[in-house]
Amino acid sequence: MFANYRQVEPDVYMELTGIAFEDFAVGQVFEHRPGRTITEEECRKHMMHALDLSPRNLDRVYTAAVHGRTVVPETWLLSVVAILTTKTFGRVVANLGWTNTVMHAQAVAGDTITAESEILGKRESNSRPDQGIMHVATRGFDQAGHLLCSYERRFLVYRGDGGPYRQAGY
Amino acid sequence: MTATFTWYAEIAPNRFRERYGLAFEDFAPGQRFRHRPGITITQQDNIDESVEALNQAMIHYDDHYAAQTEFKRPLVASNLTVIRLIGMTWKTFAARERILGWAEISMLAPVFGGDTVYAETAIKTRHDDPAGGPCGRLTLVTQGTNQHGKTICRMEYDALIWRRAHLPFAQAGY
Repeated sequence: MFANYRQVEPDVYMELTGIAFEDFAVGQVFEHRPGRTITEEECRKHMMHALDLSPRNLDRVYTAAVHGRTVVPETWLLSVVAILTTKTFGRVVANLGWTNTVMHAQAVAGDTITAESEILGKRESNSRPDQGIMHVATRGFDQAGHLLCSYERRFLVYRGDGGPYRQAGY
Repeated sequence: MTATFTWYAEIAPNRFRERYGLAFEDFAPGQRFRHRPGITITQQDNIDESVEALNQAMIHYDDHYAAQTEFKRPLVASNLTVIRLIGMTWKTFAARERILGWAEISMLAPVFGGDTVYAETAIKTRHDDPAGGPCGRLTLVTQGTNQHGKTICRMEYDALIWRRAHLPFAQAGY
């Protein structure tokens, strides 16, 4: 099983972030918990901070007339799903990108989102000896288990024996 | 230089109502829209976004840890960059009913607190199915650049845009 603590002294354990490159294997599936409830207010706030004045998230009269319910912006749903994976993928060096992102159904404010990730591939980086490249598929669900969003993502993660952890005192 | 699109409807003589967002029929392959203004993403934005989103990747908000990495400082979370870039397209794409999905989101260069990002959207394909209901489907390519002109992000995605006859302004009293 995964070692999530480093024993720094007898009886003293330091929490480690994420899972190291070596410990991932193709075919593993990680269920990310806890879930996360999306609120109307955070949808509104994110759109305002993006300078996005589309009425869908700012004008309840418009939303009620046109959409009938408070739809979660696609960029925020994608964010919530991707960020649910960060406990497992917390050793990220940098995100390379997403492919095949499909919004299967719209989320509505008040929905609670869970996610799961499947390891599709991994390879060592040629140019970065302390890192590897992960290829994962992630799926996001609502509280009824309906698939809302799926994507594939590639990102760099640190190896267990490398990276900035020791220098940072972690 | 001619003004080819308007965000105003003259609803009575000398009375103009703001109506942002172009209709599906306004778009054609090859058009490029430069969205302005840009927006500066600060490290405080990065912390706020990451903490509020429950992001556990410390590269976004642990300065001491980030100083030990090759980047020497925190990286702006990709999802924040994506939200800001799509958000900045709203004046042209306010008639977007939904985004159906992204074929590609590539993060091409790191974004750091203090960078100013700009968005530009190219119309790649207009899927013109007359039986497609009140909306038509566009394949769009939105690129983000920083203040140095470097491309930081490229996204290709499909969106539904209301056709002119179905723009929802009247329903909302616009």
